[in-house]
Amino acid sequence: MDRRFKARLEAQFGDRLSGPVRQRHDQTEIRIRPGDVVPVMTELHDNPIFRFEFLADLAGVDTGEVMQAVYHLWSDTTPDWLRVIADGLSRDDPRVPSVTFLWPGAEWMEREAYDMFGMIFEGNRDLRRIYMPPEYTSFPLRKDFTLPDDAARSPGGGFRHMEQTHIPANTPNTVRRLPGSRQLPSVK
Amino acid sequence: MSTAQRPSADDPRILLDQEAGVFEPVPPYPPRTEREAEFYTLGDGQMFLNMGPQHPSTHGVLRVVLKIDGENVVDLDPVLGYLHRGVEKLAENADYHQVISQVDPLEYVSSLFNEWGAVLSFEKLLDVEVPRRAEYIRVLSAELNRIASHALFMGWMALDLGGLTPILWSFIERDEIVEMLASLTGQRMLFNYFRIGGVNGDLNHDFMSRLGNWMSRATEQIEASQGLLNENEIFVRRMRGLGPIDTKTALRMCFTGPNLRATGVPFDIRRAHPYSVYPELDFDIPTRVEGDCLARYLLRVDEVKQSLRIIDQCLHQMPDGPVMAKLPRLLRPRPGRAYSAVESPRGQYATYVVSDGTDQPFRMRIHDPSYIHLQSVGLLMQGNLIADTMAIMASLDPIMGGVDK
Amino acid sequence: MALTKDKAGATGALVVPGRDKVAEPLVVPNTFWSSALPGAYTETHEPDHTHLREFEESGQGRRDDARWSGPLEIIPTKADYVLDLIRMNSLWPLLSGLACCAIEMMSTATSRNDLDRWGHFPFRASPRQADVLIVAGTLTTKMAGPLIRLWEQMPEPKWCVALGDCTCSGGRYKRSYSTVEGIDRVMPVDVYIPGCPPRPEGLMYGMMKLQQLVKQRRGHWPERAIGPTVPQDV
Repeated sequence: MDRRFKARLEAQFGDRLSGPVRQRHDQTEIRIRPGDVVPVMTELHDNPIFRFEFLADLAGVDTGEVMQAVYHLWSDTTPDWLRVIADGLSRDDPRVPSVTFLWPGAEWMEREAYDMFGMIFEGNRDLRRIYMPPEYTSFPLRKDFTLPDDAARSPGGGFRHMEQTHIPANTPNTVRRLPGSRQLPSVK
Repeated sequence: MSTAQRPSADDPRILLDQEAGVFEPVPPYPPRTEREAEFYTLGDGQMFLNMGPQHPSTHGVLRVVLKIDGENVVDLDPVLGYLHRGVEKLAENADYHQVISQVDPLEYVSSLFNEWGAVLSFEKLLDVEVPRRAEYIRVLSAELNRIASHALFMGWMALDLGGLTPILWSFIERDEIVEMLASLTGQRMLFNYFRIGGVNGDLNHDFMSRLGNWMSRATEQIEASQGLLNENEIFVRRMRGLGPIDTKTALRMCFTGPNLRATGVPFDIRRAHPYSVYPELDFDIPTRVEGDCLARYLLRVDEVKQSLRIIDQCLHQMPDGPVMAKLPRLLRPRPGRAYSAVESPRGQYATYVVSDGTDQPFRMRIHDPSYIHLQSVGLLMQGNLIADTMAIMASLDPIMGGVDK
Repeated sequence: MALTKDKAGATGALVVPGRDKVAEPLVVPNTFWSSALPGAYTETHEPDHTHLREFEESGQGRRDDARWSGPLEIIPTKADYVLDLIRMNSLWPLLSGLACCAIEMMSTATSRNDLDRWGHFPFRASPRQADVLIVAGTLTTKMAGPLIRLWEQMPEPKWCVALGDCTCSGGRYKRSYSTVEGIDRVMPVDVYIPGCPPRPEGLMYGMMKLQQLVKQRRGHWPERAIGPTVPQDV
């Protein structure tokens, strides 16, 4: 946990952050709006006090209410990983600018996020499906795409598959779910 | 799947309609992206060659569409997804403990690193401290797995250039190591050995005796394999100068691992962002500056030697104690996010886990190094011959299980 | 409590009445998931071949009974036996590993567990030259098309071996959105080798089982009609 790094980030990006800088273990997390991705990333990449020249990961996350594009960066100026969350993409039309102008290696990571979530990365020259066949129509990792045998039946939820024939009457309502459906959880 | 109604390739009475992606390299729809349009327009004298999902190279099911001008490859477009099994989605529907066995078959040759990446993230979410003996056993078994993976790489490198002997020698080495790990973990390949908070079982007599046996012979075996290939004129002349990449491009293409270190950047996650007990172990980071296939090959051989050093130190410094932290069976971490990266034989293997407070991960994102490296095959392939495609791909050491998740 | 006696008159062990009853199993009715195929677990289904079914039923295919013809008919039918022996001892697999089980297949083919002892070493790269398709690794919906094409391109007589849990039944990826749950949904399988991954000894056992099938003319392949793999006027 690098406190001085947190101070540097707040000094540089103070008004652009859409949430507090959070630190836990060896990770520092900042949240920005999707429109700010290009200036923030350019700043992090070019500014000599940051020098985040290494993009470790680019992921998409579907929280059930919104979508996020999560970038992980590494620099030798700080021992922490920097996590940049571009928060607040709408689930119906998630658009975020692409970072392929800084890191061409992000092209396939963005393609994967498009394939799995439907996120459009504006500026990516090659945004087509990568895992699923080109004529596939769904986006598998979205929370409304449910597998047939889906997760309402976790043992942590009180379901003991091998031990009982029905959900017992005293299973609390918070875990009792309708079989075959998954209520969209919400996560910050 | 439309194959049930599809007419047969063998029936002479039925005319075959060309199905996209299987017969014709060019897809039947108009290009949807800029890069697709650029790739699928043929220049003068060029043609497409489809290196289909089944081909004699042993990396797995990768389809590459080559745009060739005579024997020279002008451009190429890898098509993935032939092994996409939906691990990230399945991980969302499994317990934290079950996820460990789900991520095993991603980079199946180096399974312990897949497990390590997952387990590190979970331990960060749960604030679990791993006992020191467990950490040492993790490092020991993982470095053994690294040697097995690199041994296999050496064999495949030669196999893709056409040499059939080194792969047999590599498999002898790998079989020995893997039988050792089987006596420790119970499985030859998809080990399922690491647990959240430790490992599944302590070292046993069978494993230690096999390990001692093997270590006394390990150096000579490596020297023998090297003697077969390193000075081999055909090998060296084919690989030297093939597929060079410079540091700046490598960083921009998000290279990690041996592929990055072969370009001159001494970036190793075990030193740059240490995890487990690596700060207490003494090892070097081999780095080379040429950035071509030969450098990548020689670098991995150097890494095997460093791994042997690490194993030696682990055996000497192994502390006593429990091998697993005491954890409840039902794990419910606080809502939060955790990212962790380990140095797998291919590069940075990272996992990003989002927890929502239940006993199943909300989002388990797996970042695989082979996936990133495969992007740059087109960059490295400029103007090379078709036969060199396989050599370059082999030198990047991709495993399609990890690429396709 | 009476001690029971067996036929020879010796007393048996102490028997407590009621203890030899098998406990009633807890039957959990399947309310969670059901197969789209009616009667999936109660009826026997024919393996779902592709187009070859109509071809078989139309009677146009030859039966592969490999009889000598012409002046060779005077040779007694032990020649079939010899042909089966020849076939079984040189089954050339197709080099088609998909995932993790491919590594175990390669491990079986290399020095320590040598598959060359049975004559199976040359892993042919081209399906036209291969006898047996060892499907090693998870079959996904995207790969199913190319794999069926490979199967169709192999000339008869051919056999199929399902190596590993993923090919037998979908394995650990059974509930995924892109896995074919078992290759017997798309091609006829002769030998199933379970395991994740199966040990090389398991694959060797499976190949020996296949050799047994070939020698004894059991399994799918004697009944599969063969058709032209090359159109007639080519």
